[in-house]
Amino acid sequence: MTSVKEYKCPSCGAGLDFDPPSQKWKCHYCFNEYEKDQFDASDNEEFLNEDMPELDSYICNSCGAELIADNTTSATFCVYCKSPAVIKSRFSGKFRPRNVIPFRLTKEQAKEIYQKWIKKRLFAPKEFKLKEEVDKITGIYAPFWLFDCKANGFISGEATKVHSWRQGDYQYTQTKYYSIVRRGHARYKRIPVDASKKMDDKYMHMIEPFDYSDLKDFSMKYMSGFMAEKYDVESNEAVNILKDRVRDYISDRLKGTVNGYSSCSINSRNVNISEINQCYSMLPVYLLVNKYKDKSHIFMINGQTGKVVGDTPLCLPKQILFAVAVFLVVWIIGVFGGALFA
Amino acid sequence: MRKKTSILLLVLLFSVLIPYIAQVAVYAESSGNIKDYLNYLTDSEIASLQDDIESIKQTYRLDVVIVITDDTQGKSSQAFADDFYDYNGYGIGKSKSGLLMLVNMQDREVYISTRGNAIDIFTDGRISRMTDNCATYLSNADYYNACRKFVQDVKSYAKAGVPSGQYRSPSDMTYGDKVARRIKSVSIYITALVISLVSTLLLSLSSKGKVTITSSTYEETGSFELTEARDDFIRQSTTQTKISDNSSSGGGNKSSTHTGSSGHTHGGGGRKF
Repeated sequence: MTSVKEYKCPSCGAGLDFDPPSQKWKCHYCFNEYEKDQFDASDNEEFLNEDMPELDSYICNSCGAELIADNTTSATFCVYCKSPAVIKSRFSGKFRPRNVIPFRLTKEQAKEIYQKWIKKRLFAPKEFKLKEEVDKITGIYAPFWLFDCKANGFISGEATKVHSWRQGDYQYTQTKYYSIVRRGHARYKRIPVDASKKMDDKYMHMIEPFDYSDLKDFSMKYMSGFMAEKYDVESNEAVNILKDRVRDYISDRLKGTVNGYSSCSINSRNVNISEINQCYSMLPVYLLVNKYKDKSHIFMINGQTGKVVGDTPLCLPKQILFAVAVFLVVWIIGVFGGALFA
Repeated sequence: MRKKTSILLLVLLFSVLIPYIAQVAVYAESSGNIKDYLNYLTDSEIASLQDDIESIKQTYRLDVVIVITDDTQGKSSQAFADDFYDYNGYGIGKSKSGLLMLVNMQDREVYISTRGNAIDIFTDGRISRMTDNCATYLSNADYYNACRKFVQDVKSYAKAGVPSGQYRSPSDMTYGDKVARRIKSVSIYITALVISLVSTLLLSLSSKGKVTITSSTYEETGSFELTEARDDFIRQSTTQTKISDNSSSGGGNKSSTHTGSSGHTHGGGGRKF
């Protein structure tokens, strides 16, 4: 048994990639399309339940070259022959994901989205708009912990009702103060928490939400044709991020039931989170990391919904040019246009 | 030759002096500052107003004229008021400072015309407040109190003097003049600078994405249950603030000016009643 899995077209033997629009597997040489169970019927993923030894190096099944991959990279391409390669040990044992949301967007669509997005970034340096840059966009299955939990919340605070009226020469303002107490509970399902140190937590949070109706049982077959990472944030670390988020969710929800007041401030809250269940899942993300003046700038697309987040450096000369142009336009309108109506 | 020159000089001198003498004569004739052509005011009322006006003339060096008429000789209220003031020799000092209130019954309009120092003291905002005050009485045909109020307002604004930041804005400036003045205006530079900086800043900040999930995105539908909700009234407080009149009718510190048929600069404004 080889440690690297490569899915091959039953007709011609070339590498098979997952094709997001059809949600099938497509051979780029003979253009045949296959359903999930139509190829590699012999493939039995049961063995993934057992831990497999980590090897120092992995060999490409197609050309025999050594695969160059980070410690956490679990699906990649051979740098020499571009064949998709899935490293089995990194999906086995405790690294076996329970669920996956397959990509919906193709790389081409992701590029278009990036180009539209970067066009609107007036102050982005022109290096960010080059075609070579756009081509670097990569589809990655990012590791996530999906948490289910229950939260019991309690909030208390002060709310006011302000009533104002006019009588004679005076404006009267009456403020009524109320003490507010709310207690309640709710269940939360599949709150995603980034399980990769490589990925920026903030951006991973911003590309949420994913549509869980596409959630499938995990199969390595979906990884074929994309990059994938395995988790390096343990679930007991990730749970702290989860708890912070759930505390805010339930408090917000309780605060939302305080109605009919002019203002409301919460001065104490108490949240108890229980029945936490986690499920290791792979979620689709398109990623483009640009280095500019020694700083990384991330661009990310939700590979399922197309939601975009990102950050570009600001190019000072462009900003100055823009500011000067706006200044002149406003000044000219103010002087010549204003004189018409003065 | 010398004789001729001296005669010529004499003639010249007279020609300069005659209008002045004539003006003095006119002034003497119309020394009354209340011209009530419709006899709306009683003699005692006129006397009382005249007394007040004399004291304003003494204290603040401003002439105050009230004209009530229903015949403006086909002129607009503005033109009639300006001309009445200019051609009847009103005004104190070299700049002929003073102001005139015209109650134009023909058009049911009240108009205040200012000249000299009065232009600066009575800004557009103040004039509009004064005409508003008078119009209230005039609509009720209470002519004496309208005049009374006018004289009182003149006194109080004259006492307050020229408001800080007051400026004149000739309404008959050419487009070029206006452009030239606006080029020198600091406020336009500041406005343009602020807009340019704010828009650049906003565009610079907009380059990131934002969190679109809410507290209910991951909530299992129907799982939220409120088990306790208490709203207890604790106390109440009431504050009162006096409403200041400053907000009523704008005009700021601007004194709009125009040039009357006599060639003199006037300020002023009016309204219907």
